[in-house]
Order: sequence, then structure tokens, then C-alpha cells
Amino acid sequence: MTQDQQAASQVTLSIDGKEVSVPKGTVVWQAAQKLGIDIPIYCYHPKMSPLGACRMCFVEIEKIPKPPQTACTTECTEGMIVHTDTNLVKKARKGTLEFLLINHPLDCPVCDKGGECDLQDFTLRYGPGASRFDLKKRHFTKPVPVSQNILLDRERCIACQRCVRFTHEVAMQPGLIMENRGYRTQVAVNPDAPFDSIFSGNTVEICPVGALTAKSYRFISRPWELRRTATVCSGCAVGCNVQANVRVDKLLRHMSRTNDAVDDGWLCDTGRWQHDEVNSLERLKQPLIRKNNTLTPVTWDEALDYTTSKLKEAAQRTPQLVGAIGSTHTTNEENFIFQKVVRECLGVRNIDHYHGVFPSSAAGAVPWVYTGAIADLDHTGSIVLLGADPYTQQMTLDLRVKKGLRNGAKITVISSEPTHLDSFAHQVLTIKRGSEAAIAKALAYTVIEEKLWRGHFAENNTSLIQSHSARYADYSPERMEAALGVSAAALRELARELAESSGAIVLYDELTTKISGNETLAADVFDLGMMIDLITRKNSGVGPLFHAANSVGARDMGVLPDTGPGYVKIDQPGFDYNAMLNGAVKLLWVMGANPAKHMEKPDMMKSLDFLVVQSLFMNETTQYAHVVLPALSYAEKIGTFTNLERRVQVLHRALNPLIGPRPDWEIIKGIASRLGVKYSYRSSSDILTEIAMNVPLYAGMSRGEIGESGKQWAFAEEKESVSAQR
Amino acid sequence: MTEQVRIVTKNIDIPGIDTFSVYTQHGGFQALRKALAMEPAAVLETVKNSGLRGRGGAGFPTGMKWSFLAKNSSKPTYLCANGDESEPGTFKDRMIMEKIPHRLVEGVLISAYATGAKQAFIYIRGELAYAARQLERAIAETYAAGYAGKNIMGSDANIDVVLHRGAGAYICGEETALMESLEGKRGYPRLKPPFPAAAGLYGGPTVINNCETLSTVPAIIENGAEWYASYGTEKSKGTRIFCLSGHVNKPGNYELPMGVTFRTLIEEFGGGVWKGRKLKAFVPGGSSTPMLGADKIDTPMDYESVASAGSMLGAAGVIVIDDATCIVDAVSRMEEFYRDESCGKCSPCREGTFWLAQLLERLAEGQGRADDVKLLSDICDNMSGKCFCPLGDAAITPVVSAIKLFREEFEYHIIHHNCPLSEHNRSAAAART
Ligand SMILES: Cc1cc2nc3c(=O)[nH]c(=O)nc-3n(C[C@H](O)[C@H](O)[C@H](O)COP(=O)(O)O)c2cc1C
Ligand code: SF4
Ligand code: SF4
Ligand code: SF4
Ligand code: FES
Repeated sequence: MTQDQQAASQVTLSIDGKEVSVPKGTVVWQAAQKLGIDIPIYCYHPKMSPLGACRMCFVEIEKIPKPPQTACTTECTEGMIVHTDTNLVKKARKGTLEFLLINHPLDCPVCDKGGECDLQDFTLRYGPGASRFDLKKRHFTKPVPVSQNILLDRERCIACQRCVRFTHEVAMQPGLIMENRGYRTQVAVNPDAPFDSIFSGNTVEICPVGALTAKSYRFISRPWELRRTATVCSGCAVGCNVQANVRVDKLLRHMSRTNDAVDDGWLCDTGRWQHDEVNSLERLKQPLIRKNNTLTPVTWDEALDYTTSKLKEAAQRTPQLVGAIGSTHTTNEENFIFQKVVRECLGVRNIDHYHGVFPSSAAGAVPWVYTGAIADLDHTGSIVLLGADPYTQQMTLDLRVKKGLRNGAKITVISSEPTHLDSFAHQVLTIKRGSEAAIAKALAYTVIEEKLWRGHFAENNTSLIQSHSARYADYSPERMEAALGVSAAALRELARELAESSGAIVLYDELTTKISGNETLAADVFDLGMMIDLITRKNSGVGPLFHAANSVGARDMGVLPDTGPGYVKIDQPGFDYNAMLNGAVKLLWVMGANPAKHMEKPDMMKSLDFLVVQSLFMNETTQYAHVVLPALSYAEKIGTFTNLERRVQVLHRALNPLIGPRPDWEIIKGIASRLGVKYSYRSSSDILTEIAMNVPLYAGMSRGEIGESGKQWAFAEEKESVSAQR
Repeated sequence: MTEQVRIVTKNIDIPGIDTFSVYTQHGGFQALRKALAMEPAAVLETVKNSGLRGRGGAGFPTGMKWSFLAKNSSKPTYLCANGDESEPGTFKDRMIMEKIPHRLVEGVLISAYATGAKQAFIYIRGELAYAARQLERAIAETYAAGYAGKNIMGSDANIDVVLHRGAGAYICGEETALMESLEGKRGYPRLKPPFPAAAGLYGGPTVINNCETLSTVPAIIENGAEWYASYGTEKSKGTRIFCLSGHVNKPGNYELPMGVTFRTLIEEFGGGVWKGRKLKAFVPGGSSTPMLGADKIDTPMDYESVASAGSMLGAAGVIVIDDATCIVDAVSRMEEFYRDESCGKCSPCREGTFWLAQLLERLAEGQGRADDVKLLSDICDNMSGKCFCPLGDAAITPVVSAIKLFREEFEYHIIHHNCPLSEHNRSAAAART
């Protein structure tokens, strides 16, 4: 857009005497927000379309007839003059509050919302001091469950419809409706669609009053008793930004911190309410050593001395028989120091983590990761989910795809299993399990055959196209149709759409690459992205959808057998995860993982001479351990996680740490010092400083630089050429 | 003696006029034939020149409304006939639909032709089962004759007409709620803009007209704009069907040129106030219009005169209130209607009507408290202009206008815990026995 065009699409108005310029189409409430002028709202929500129902947001606008106006529905126009504090406005807002209160039960003393309720707060600021209503209030049976987790108190409801609109507009699972009319109006469960969305908790959060309450939080706490800490959810690889609410020593719930880049202001119910792991009374508190075949409590010194001596002895003698398994649930700092101690202090090469090495991730120096941004989904033209179902694994990403859909993106689901997004997709191609890579190849073939390539990279690289045309020669859509039963026309059409649309995103689940037949999926999708410029094109990207909170961080930090921190290639790779667990090593050091849980024959663990496990709980793996070292949960420590779009985010300490367990980095530091290497790290920040200095991808990363909203490391363009030569 | 001028209600009393054959025998569908021979723009121009204004309540010039339709929308244009008629005091659309349904169908077809709508809907109030059956049959007959659907009367014009029965809600007469309801959603009014003419039903440019408005169109096309404009007054042209009800000897629908006075309607056509009583007040245009005192009975029934008398012609539902009526009681009953019919979307209307209805009930029962009249007025003030749609303003109209005219009567109820008329009634009753 040129500057002139930009100026033309802006309007300037004045609110309470202050001037502000906003894009055309902005409502007065948003413009006032920009100026820091508070206009009370109930029904309006910045993430949903304006409704104009509650009549709380009154302002007076000069030259518009019939004042006052509602700020949430009135669009700003050039030269508009708005007043938010006139007598007319005050009386109107007071009137609305009085109306909302006449039927309200005023049971604030026992209401979960009391203390963080907009009805209380606005009444204090704008409302009448006393009610003139002296008649019979309306009554409803209460509370009524509307879902497994949520209860509805219809007497407290102010009928703002936020909850209903969330289910219809945002989650697009219309579980709630408005029922009856007039003074009998109430929220109800949609008889045709149960309110069973995994996003249901958002309605509790956005309900401006205490009408919707969470079962898990009912009558548990007063809001002013909560300690609120800005941190990051560790439930999955999205890394939604949350405010952890803790009462005394219990994590009660997460509330959204609204980072539009990551979560758009929404959380999933698991992330919001499932904190058993942190709160559990079963947590390990003391180190354990196996004595007489039973795990026996010991002091930290004894446990660390013993562990170190075992590790040291084995590493000196037979380093090839020592293995280390890191974690997708521990911080970057912990993974970094873990691999550092393993590699540098012990001289051991065998290091990996669960879902570390993938058959198809061997892309050499190219970081195997989604190349775009989560927010690109909002405004892209086309989204392809190739064996991926975010609703089950990267939950809030599902809302992102739906947002893209509402903004006009075409959604294509290609999967061997039904997915949640099937009913929203423009096109669903059902395929045989393990043929995702073949589909990607057919798309690549079409790009080459129909000369659809675009972007500087493909255009300047005739050799690339040539080598690819050989590589994909056998995968014409027509052959795929014959072999797999997928319409060739649909594949060709899709390839054209991806090449031509204003933006396109192709995503696959990390585990889809593990299915036999998909060994080359990651490389194929990347090649496709390169040829049609999905890596640098606006609102575009390709790559895997990881599962765990720090899946990407564990890779970035080099907890992999073949690459060190920052994907620096290692000349002689060690054993990978599977090899280590299948007898390649005799001594195993596990940090924050539970490999036995995923093994077909966990008894293989018995063949280990020594197993040390850093863990929060006793679990399938610890039962084979010789030493168990109790660790702190993410909620009790400080560090960083890297989410699936390469965003490094800061975890803050939300809970007072349990007495006994230690953060994993401290445990590792203790082992290092017993190995004779004294690290000067006093906190995980010091480790982050070292990472920033040593890992180019993380250059400049510091707690301050990352800030409240995280910082993405750049998927550098030069990396493309590296991959092209592989 | 003034005579009715039958334009919309022409031939309405002819036996069998509700059948296609009798309707056509009496000139039915000639106007459609004539319109189809004209350019749509010329039809629109004729309606514009006739001065026809909407009969649904607001009195917006019909031709002008049609000309506002978005010209370059990517979506189809729709026409909706509003047959939701639920305003207390109105029953004219129902009569048209029951007695001479083909005229509405003909009007719908001509109007759709003029506006370029290929799809028309007639939205009928849920309770009007007989009218719905009549229309259903009229539409079927019209299709069977080739006068609706594809190549109407052998022309190039294609217009489909679908009847849709509402589920019974006053708010669904409001044009945007009507569209929501037609789309199968809950009948909530929509945010404007966009206005229906720009993006209405299913997002397409939409024109919505009242049944009577559309049923007037055939006569205008048949006889010309000037002919129609020769009826009525300078600014309020043509005739209207006045629905006369309440305490009057001969209630009913009377089609009269605009400008005739309320006195003529009530006394000449209605045979005067019933039971020999006197006129206390009257509602000029349906319950949503401010009631007027008996002193306003000589007001001519046209938009401008009624406006300068302090009310609105609205949907022309004239309700006569005799002097034995407790006004608090009457208003209380009206408010109950609005309380029950409020759609509940916005706070002031949903809660305000609930509060007003309860307050009025206790006042009428003589249980009112000292400041109740002041409170009533202030509740109305807090609703006035602050509700989402016009129903909220309509809901306070009976209260505000009654307090303005009969404040002492309200206060009497509070001071004496009784109605000033109850004694009157008692003595009258005693005299009778
Ligand atoms: C609460 C409410 C109820 C209404 N009910 C009706 C109705 O039953 N019939 C009608 O024709 N118009 C009704 N209207 C007016 C319509 O919104 C609309 O203005 C009218 O149908 C336009 O037709 P016209 O231009 O031919 O008058 C109602 C308006 C409101 C606010
Ligand atoms: S339950 Fe809460 S969010 Fe839903 S309509 Fe009522 S007040 Fe609004
Ligand atoms: S989507 Fe993932 S990160 Fe977000 S709240 Fe749910 S579990 Fe937590
Ligand atoms: S004024 Fe409000 S509550 Fe009343 S009918 Fe209109 S939108 Fe519904
Ligand atoms: S916030 Fe504006 S009307 Fe509700």
C-alpha cells in the first residue's frame, strides 16, 4: 500500500478532545482504547462481531441524531467528535446498569466472579448507588450444568450473548443458544449440538458476570486471594500465553493473557483446567537410590555422588555404551546444559529424545520446523492439513484455522482418519494411511509439469527444478489416482491453488512422518514449499506440527544424535532414541521423560546396568531406575520454551517450588560439578545468556528481549539453499 | 355521508373473489400484464410518482425505497412482503390475505418485477393459519396459470413466490428480525447498517414492504400514478385501510382517503362510542403510537396532521377508549404485551418492559407507591432512544402518552389506593340494577 492509500484508508476523529487516527471501519470503542479512554462494555468483545445488545457503551457523538450512541457499533468517520463523559452519557449508562441489576440476585458474597466482575466494577464506576426496584425478581432454577465442566446461573446472566457468540462465531461449535424471549430470555444448551467443545472454558472467562462458572473452581477461591503470574501453558506446542492463578500452593486455573500472535486470546480446556500433574500429592520429594532392590530415600549428596560415579566410570571406560534421553517438557536451558554435560563432560555422543529423530527429518542443516507463523493462518488464502488434526494435538491452532476460514481461506484436509476440521473444509481427500508423502509428491510433480513454480528461489535455480523433476517423475496425479484413488483433478487443482493464492500454508503432524510410506514427507513438503515460494511468501509456510510444549526447543538445543545446538551437524552421530532403548547402551541418563511408557517391551530396561531418571513422579520408567532424582514442574521454575512456530517464550515461576525437588538444570549442574566441571550459572538466565552467545538462531535472546510476548527465531532464507543441495 | 374509497379493498365483498377465476373475471392480474409490458424502471417510476408511502408504520415513500436497492451486488435481490401484522389495533393485512389474497400476490409480482427481484417471500404471522392457507392456495393457482414462476404470462420475467409462516413473534414484523427469521434464525433485529437495501436477506439487496403497500401497487399500475395521487392530501396521497377497534359500535376496516378526520371515522363509520359513552382518548395508529385526547378528534388522518397533533399515523390502527376506562389499567395491559413481545436482545427493553409492566400492575391495583409516576417516567426516559430497535421506543409510548394526558388519574391511584372510575362504575352498575 502506498502512503497515500494508507492515508486515505485512515480517519481522524476526536474523543474527549484528543485526536486519534484509525483505519476506516474501526468502531469508536477501539479508537477510544487506543487513546486509553475507558468505555464500559458487556456484549462487545474485540474478537467477535459487534452486537449492540447490552447498551452499556454509550457515548455522545456530535451531529449524529438521537444521542447517545453505542461506541461498540458506531464506526469512526472523518472529523467525528465524540464525548464519553457528558451528563447524557452518564445517565444512560446508569440507566442500563440499573436495568441489569433489577433482576440480578446480588449474591456477590458467594459468587466466584465477585472481585473480578464487570457488573460489580462498572456499577462502582458508572452505576446507581441504590436500586429503585422494589418488586418481584425473576427466578430460575440454578445452577444448571451446561457441560461436564461448566455450570450456568441464569439469574446472574445479563444476556450479553458473548458465550453464545463464542460458540457460534469463534469455536464454530454452536453448543449454546439464546432461548425464549423478553424477560424470559436465557442461555441454554443447543438441543441439536451438545456443548462439548474443548474450548468451552473460554466462555467462562469472557462471561462478564458470574453466570458461567467452572466446576473445578466453584467456591474454591476469592479472586483477591489469587497470585497471578504471567507465564506460558505447557500443555502443547502452541504455548498459549497464560496467567497462572495460584491460591496458596495450588494452581487453580490458567486465564488467557491474550497474545494475538500465539493464542488470539483463547485457551483450550486442558490447558486451562488440567493441572493435576503440578498439584498432585504424589509428587516425588526426595532422591531415591535402589538398595536391596528397593528404591530408598537418600540425601541429594548421596544420590548425586552415586550417580556421578556411575556415569563417570562408564563414560571413561565405554562412552559408546552410555546414553542420554532429554525431554520435550523441560526448558531450553535444561536441554542445553543436559546435552552440554553429556557431550562435553562425559564425552558421550548418544543423545536424543522421544520423537527426536524422525525418518524424514534428516534434512541436514535445515531446522525441521514450521517455517511460517501461527498468525499467518488468519489471512492466508489456502490451508492444507496433510495428516494433521490440530483439534486433538495443537488445540488453539484449530481456532486459528477456523479464523482463516472465516476470513476466506480455502481449507483442504487430506487424511486417512476423520478429523475435526472435515466438516469445515472445502475439500476432504480421504487417503490410505501412509500415502501423505505420495500426495505431497504429486503436488510437487504438478508444480513442475504445469510450470507453476514461482519466487526468486525457483526462478533462479533451473538446476533445482531439473533435479526435482527427476525426483518426482513417477508421481503424476494420474498415477496417484490409479494407485491411491485420490482424484487427479483435485490434486492438480490444489497445486494450482497453492501456487497462485495470495498465501498458502501446508501443515502435517510430526507423527504422520513416522507412518511407513511417509519417510520422505518432510522433505517433499519442503521441496513443494521451495518451488512455489511458501517459505518467504506472505502469510505462507510449510512444516510439521509438533506435539509437546518444548518439542522445538529440544531440537534447537541439540538434544539429537546428529545435530548439536542450532542444528550444527555432528560428524559422528551417536545412537538415537530407539537404538538406545533397544540395547545399544548399558547406562542411561533420562531427564524429564518416561520412555518405558512408550515401549512395546519395557522389560528391555532391565538389561541396563544403570538407569538414572529425573522425574516429577514415580512412573513406568522409574520402576526400573537405580537412581530417581525428583524434579520441579514447569510451574515452579523459570526458563524458556520454544513453540511450534519457533517462538521462544518465558516461563515464570507461578508456584512456590516444592521443598525437596530441584529444577533439572540444577540437578545437571550438580552432576557436572562432581565431574569436576564447575559452571558458574546461578540461574537459568545465565544459561540462556550462554545459549544466546553460542547458538546463532538464539542470538540476542534474553529474558528482556523475549519479553511478555515471546520472540521468534528467524527461519533464514539462506537455509533454503542448504536444503536444495542435500 | 362520506363514502369508503375502495382501491385496495375493491371487490373484496364479491363472493368467490378469493379464487383465481373470480379474481381474474373482475380484472385481476390485468395490472401484472400491463406491468410486464413496461420496463421495470417505468413501473418503479409510476409507483414513485404515485406518492405511495409504506403502510407498515413508518410511512417511507415506497418508490424511493425501491430505488435505494444496491445495483451492483454480487448477490440476488429479494422482495419480502411483510404480513406479520401483530401491532395491537391492526387487522387490515389479515383481511387482505384472507379475503383477496390474489391481490397481494399480484402486487408482490409487480413489485418484484419493478425491483428486479427473482425471488419473493411473503412472511406471514404464525397465528394467521387461515390467511396462510388462503395465500398458499392463491400462490398455487397463480403458478398453475403461469402467472408466477418461469416466463410469467409468456414474458421473459421469472419470479418465484414463497410463503413463509412465522413462529409467532411481534418482533418478526421488524424488517431485519423478519429477515433473520426467514433465514431460519432466531428473530432478533440486526445491526444497521448495512441496511436491507444494501445487504439484507442472505446478504442480498432486499426490499421489504407491508402487505397493504404491495396490494396497492396493482391499482396504481392499472390506473396510473396521477389517478392514485388524486386521492388523499397534498403530502399523504391515496387511501388507507383504517382499522377501527375498541369501544366503538361498529369496529372494522374502512378504506378512506387520507385527510378524513378521526371524527368521521369514529362517528360516521364506527357509529360512535359504544354504550352511549363519551370518548376519553384514542390511539391513532396502533398501540405503538402515542394516544391522543378526545380534543384531537377533528385531526385529519394524514401523516402530517397526526404528527402535528403529537402522534403518528403508524399502521392506522385506531383504538377508541371510552370514558369508563381506567387508563392505568389500559396501559398496564398494553405494557404486558410489550413485556411479552420484547425480543430480549437489549437490556433496557428486556428489563425495562418487565419493570414497567410490574409497576403498572401494582398501580392499577391501587398498590402504587408515592414516587411511582416519577419512576415510571424515568424508566421510560432510560429506555427512550437507548434500545436497540424501535420496539423499545414503542414500548414506552403508551406509558409516556398516558401520563402526559392523564397524570392525575395515575396519581389518584396512588393517593387513594383506588381507581377514580371504580366508584363511577359501581354507581353506574347500581343504577342498572
Ligand atoms: C417492532 C416492530 C414491528 C413491526 N411490525 C410490522 C408488521 O407487522 N408489519 C409491517 O408491515 N411492518 C412492521 N414493522 C415495520 C417494518 O419494520 C417495515 O418498516 C415495514 O414492513 C416496511 O414496509 P412499508 O415501507 O411498506 O411500510 C414493524 C416495525 C417494528 C419496529
Ligand atoms: S452466561 Fe455470561 S456470557 Fe453468556 S449471555 Fe449470560 S452473561 Fe453473557
Ligand atoms: S492449546 Fe496447548 S498451549 Fe494452548 S491452552 Fe491448550 S494445551 Fe495449553
Ligand atoms: S428494543 Fe431491544 S429487546 Fe426490545 S425488541 Fe428491540 S432489540 Fe429486542
Ligand atoms: S458493549 Fe456496546 S452495546 Fe454492548
